[in-house]
Amino acid sequence: MKAVGARVPRYDGVAHATGRTEFVDDVRIPGTLWVKAFRSPVHSATMTNLDTSRAAAMKGVHVITWEDVPLLEYGHLSALGIPADEPLLAKDEVRYLGQPIAIVAAPSEEAAMAAVAAITADFQERPALFDVRKAFDADAPVIHQEGNWYTHFENEMDRRQIRKGNIDEAFDKADLIVQGVYRPAAIEHAPIETQVCQVVPEANGRLTIYSCTQALYFSMGVVAAHLQLPLNKLKVVGGTVGGGFGGKVDTATETMCALLAQKSGKPVKWRWTREEEFLCSSTRAPWHMEVADAVTKDGWILGRKMLTLHDSGAYSRFSPYGLTKHSFHHTGAYSIPNLEFNGYVVYTNRTPTTAMRGFGVTSVSFATETHMSRIALELGIDPFELRLKNANRIGDTSPNQIAYTDPSTVPTILAIADAVGHDLTSEYAGMTPAQRSGDLLPEHLVGQLGNPEAH
Amino acid sequence: MNLTINGVETPIESGPLTSLLDVLREELGITSPKAGCEQGGCGACTVLVDGEPRRSCLTPAASVDGAAITTVEGLGTPENLSPVQQAFTHHYAAQCGFCTSGMMMASQAYIDGGGTDDREAIQHALGGHVCRCTGYVKIIDAVAAVVRGESFDPNVTAAGTAMTNLGGMA
Repeated sequence: MKAVGARVPRYDGVAHATGRTEFVDDVRIPGTLWVKAFRSPVHSATMTNLDTSRAAAMKGVHVITWEDVPLLEYGHLSALGIPADEPLLAKDEVRYLGQPIAIVAAPSEEAAMAAVAAITADFQERPALFDVRKAFDADAPVIHQEGNWYTHFENEMDRRQIRKGNIDEAFDKADLIVQGVYRPAAIEHAPIETQVCQVVPEANGRLTIYSCTQALYFSMGVVAAHLQLPLNKLKVVGGTVGGGFGGKVDTATETMCALLAQKSGKPVKWRWTREEEFLCSSTRAPWHMEVADAVTKDGWILGRKMLTLHDSGAYSRFSPYGLTKHSFHHTGAYSIPNLEFNGYVVYTNRTPTTAMRGFGVTSVSFATETHMSRIALELGIDPFELRLKNANRIGDTSPNQIAYTDPSTVPTILAIADAVGHDLTSEYAGMTPAQRSGDLLPEHLVGQLGNPEAH
Repeated sequence: MNLTINGVETPIESGPLTSLLDVLREELGITSPKAGCEQGGCGACTVLVDGEPRRSCLTPAASVDGAAITTVEGLGTPENLSPVQQAFTHHYAAQCGFCTSGMMMASQAYIDGGGTDDREAIQHALGGHVCRCTGYVKIIDAVAAVVRGESFDPNVTAAGTAMTNLGGMA
């Protein structure tokens, strides 16, 4: 416990300051082939006549397409039994600009670029879909054959839903309904180290994979599944990441490099250009969130209806997990006893989206905090006092019925008020997170109380 | 071509239009300059050419034939850190470490050029060096500390006495 409360030097600080940290791109392997990708030039199309023969005939060039992948479709959530929806390499449909179709390895970067330039395919372009709000329209472009949103939540539900209390009664009793729509945009993680991978075929039959992944064991499982290899054929070297922020959780490069190392019998290296990083790597999702709250004149929130459209881009990847976290946090740091939440993971022709710093939660925190301020404004109530009044307290329950044992909302709001010099009345200034009683336990909050000792 | 790299005169075999970054990394195996964008936009490849900070990714080798090149490898060693290296370590100015080499070389040039500890002046000197981890505050703290001539005990961090049982610092 020596480290608790102490400030420790970074274990890698001196290596960073002396340039000795070995990032993936710094690993020196003689005879390494350069890797480049032939990618979809359009957002949405049926692809025919893919021809890699001219590239494959070039000296020292190796090419892989979907035909070279032992298991074409596999997802990060496949291990949980969730059907995969994304091919490693596009077969006959392309669903986003930059989707990988064929990957080449060549003796130099220039030769690899020339090989990519020699690959051809025909694309019958279709109208693309970028607005999640239009995904449900009858005449919307169809992204996947099974539909425009993910359908594999528990019991094959097509949405993540939460029901708590009696939402109709809450809205009947409300003095006012406060509504808001919140739409945070996609964000590129933009790590200074772009996606990079090296794979070495070893004499013992194993593949050594140098990966910049943030999720080494995910990547190991994904590579093994696509290649249909046992895990003991893979040695994954990772842990040194030149910035990730969630954008290096997906397995972007390792599988394709492993296939090329197998096919060529040579070490291969793929370092994305900055242009590829911006155009083709995953981003934080854009969200569309609609909130309607049933409130009383004196500042209690009786109920919340919320609809979230989580833009997963062309494939679901981790988005169902992100939406689940999002749903658990959809009341923010506040106790709202009656809830009706519906969330959909919606496909669009965007680059697939993924985790970024508080996956799924930052978006809903932005929406709920903005909405709290909106309620305060509409009611003419001090926004600090509105938050303190509805703050989570010991024994209150979360949307998914977890009783809080140590909620930090009250001390956090008090600290913020103190930091910005906001005066509170004594009733609020002395507030603690203790279990509700008296004026802070109005009738509508009684039924939601849980037993904090139960956890 | 010849370059004097960190004080050592070195013949160069790469072609004249090869970027200085590729000469350093691919021909010579000097890997502290990083390929972050290869467009001159991020600063991670910055080295000193005759004392001036330059984007090595945009610098053809022939244009610097005969010059003195300084990289992070020429600043100091783990056993004998330079003041900039000490300050970056002490102030937690490196997180993932990928922008750090370029940041330190630009900082070194700023300090060598008589820069002050004025935070705006430091920001200006480091303009165009992108860091996605730190938020820049700790980097500016480190540079200002070097300008002020502060010295650092490697067993003490900016936040207090360091732990020694978690690896890293000996």
